Amino acid sequence: MSALGRGGWLVVGAIAVSVALSGAYLAAGGSSYAPAKTQDPCQDRPWRDPGSLQEIAEQFSLSALDGAACRLGVTRETLARALATPESRERFTERYGIDDPELARAIRAGLVRAVDDAEEAGALSPFLAGPLRETVKQVPLDQAIALIQDARTLLDSAQSFLGPAQGLLDQFLP
Amino acid sequence: MTEAPRPRVAALALAVGLVLADSSIVVLALPEIYRELGTSVAGVTWVLVSFNLVMALAAVPAAHLARRVGPGRAAAVGLAVFAGASLACGASEHLSTLIAARCVQALGGAAAVTAVLELLPATVGSERRATAAWAAAGATGAALGPAVGGLLTELVSWQSIFLLQVPVAIAAAVPILAVAKHEAATGIVATELRRSGRPHLMANLALAMVSAAIAAALFLLVLLLIEGWRLTPIGAAIVVSAMPLFAILGSRLDLHVPSARARAAAGAILVSGGLAGLGLLPSAEVALTLPPQILVGVGLALVLSALTETALHGRAPQAIHGGWTISARHAGVVVGLLALTPIFTADIAEQRRDAIAAGTAVVLDSRVDPLLKLELAQRIDDRLEEERGRVPTIGSAFEPLPEDPEDRAEVVELRDDLQEQLNRGATHAFSPSFGLGALLGLLALIPIGLARRIEL
Repeated sequence: MSALGRGGWLVVGAIAVSVALSGAYLAAGGSSYAPAKTQDPCQDRPWRDPGSLQEIAEQFSLSALDGAACRLGVTRETLARALATPESRERFTERYGIDDPELARAIRAGLVRAVDDAEEAGALSPFLAGPLRETVKQVPLDQAIALIQDARTLLDSAQSFLGPAQGLLDQFLP
Repeated sequence: MTEAPRPRVAALALAVGLVLADSSIVVLALPEIYRELGTSVAGVTWVLVSFNLVMALAAVPAAHLARRVGPGRAAAVGLAVFAGASLACGASEHLSTLIAARCVQALGGAAAVTAVLELLPATVGSERRATAAWAAAGATGAALGPAVGGLLTELVSWQSIFLLQVPVAIAAAVPILAVAKHEAATGIVATELRRSGRPHLMANLALAMVSAAIAAALFLLVLLLIEGWRLTPIGAAIVVSAMPLFAILGSRLDLHVPSARARAAAGAILVSGGLAGLGLLPSAEVALTLPPQILVGVGLALVLSALTETALHGRAPQAIHGGWTISARHAGVVVGLLALTPIFTADIAEQRRDAIAAGTAVVLDSRVDPLLKLELAQRIDDRLEEERGRVPTIGSAFEPLPEDPEDRAEVVELRDDLQEQLNRGATHAFSPSFGLGALLGLLALIPIGLARRIEL
């Protein structure tokens, strides 16, 4: 006490309290309290175990968004918000200087990636995947966006039309 | 002298408290002014900056003027100008006229505050008591300003902050008029006409740095609470009241520490520690702002009183050296605001983008129905557009909640996750600015350490 004097102890006390507060907040996660980082859309994103057509459709959409976003050089999240309404799409294309044909090519590429991912995850058989891949390469922009937003109709139709044929092939082919 | 000392002391203290409250009284009203006048964050900052800048520039010349024309007359005229400019502030419909009126307000305020310091020794009986009363009145005004401003903004309007100052300034001016009349009648304009000695450079430099850090603490915390965490002005006023409350408590602490250098250093360290704590908040909870605010409050009480005493001790005339402390403090506030505003406005824009991206990822990865996701994405997008760059509260985008209990639980979880990402973004955006504020507070230790004559 005498070596430092009251003034010295006051300064030491102030340092101790300040360091203790900062240390406590750091230990509680203060340095990492930030928004979660979004994943690079060009990297593979493993599918959850799909249990129903709805779940397959959902993951199909996410893969398609990843593929399209990768092609456009934006995040999947930015593209998802951009495709929510015609107005948001217009804002997006203006901000990033993208025209409709370029957007359509990117979304078709995304849909192809979604078919690939679905096939790899075992959610689509190769027999269904092939024709689907060719189909999505041809769809116009508005339909491609509709598919990315809800692929249930596409997958349901594919199952309805091609499912019985696949059964026959499974029966007769080795 | 015709007035009894007690009402005159009260009037003089009221004048100092009123004027110095104005450097911070509009802090809680800034978001409201920002929206109502349709300006930017950087633009609305000038409502604060203009007042503090003019105070910084005018304080010393105003003190010289007060000694030349008489402190009574200078204080009375200063308060009249302050009252008139306050009325103009309250009537302003454009940012430019508001800023112009704030400049005039500061001119009147600078004349009043420095003249009062010249009047106080004769009124309270000693120079030392006068300095203490002057410093206490200023600290109380500056400390209570944001809370009073927040309450008035919420209960009435931001304009009422300025309009209410008109009768208060007139009330403070009335007892001072007697001194002005006495000066006019006798021709005595100053009690002492000694030449002004050099200002205490290190104490004033340290005052400027600490004031920059304190301005950062107050300004950034208010913006975080209102713009980031979406508290109402009255809610934010209650929260930020912790800082002045502990400043007042801190000023009453009898630490028996005679060394002004030690008190100043401890105060600067506590202010920096509190700012570092605000920069390291581990979640968006109001209660977590209290420990840092306690540190800043106690710290500012220690450091401002120690440095003001040092800057004024043994120096004459008091008005001139008081003018230098006012100038240093307000220059510090200006530097703090101007240095930090571009940093945090850029950070908040970036963090908002990250928060929205993280929030969208939460929506996309959730297990709610895809069509509902799409609808939610659309509603969230609309909310973001409505908020014009602010961090939005996202709850209304999820209304009405689905009736199915399972879907409802998923949507509620999704909503909470999304809001959490936005809160994270808002809080994190302020971290670098709070960190810079802490650094400014620590830099004040250099002049405090270098001051040879800082020991009283």
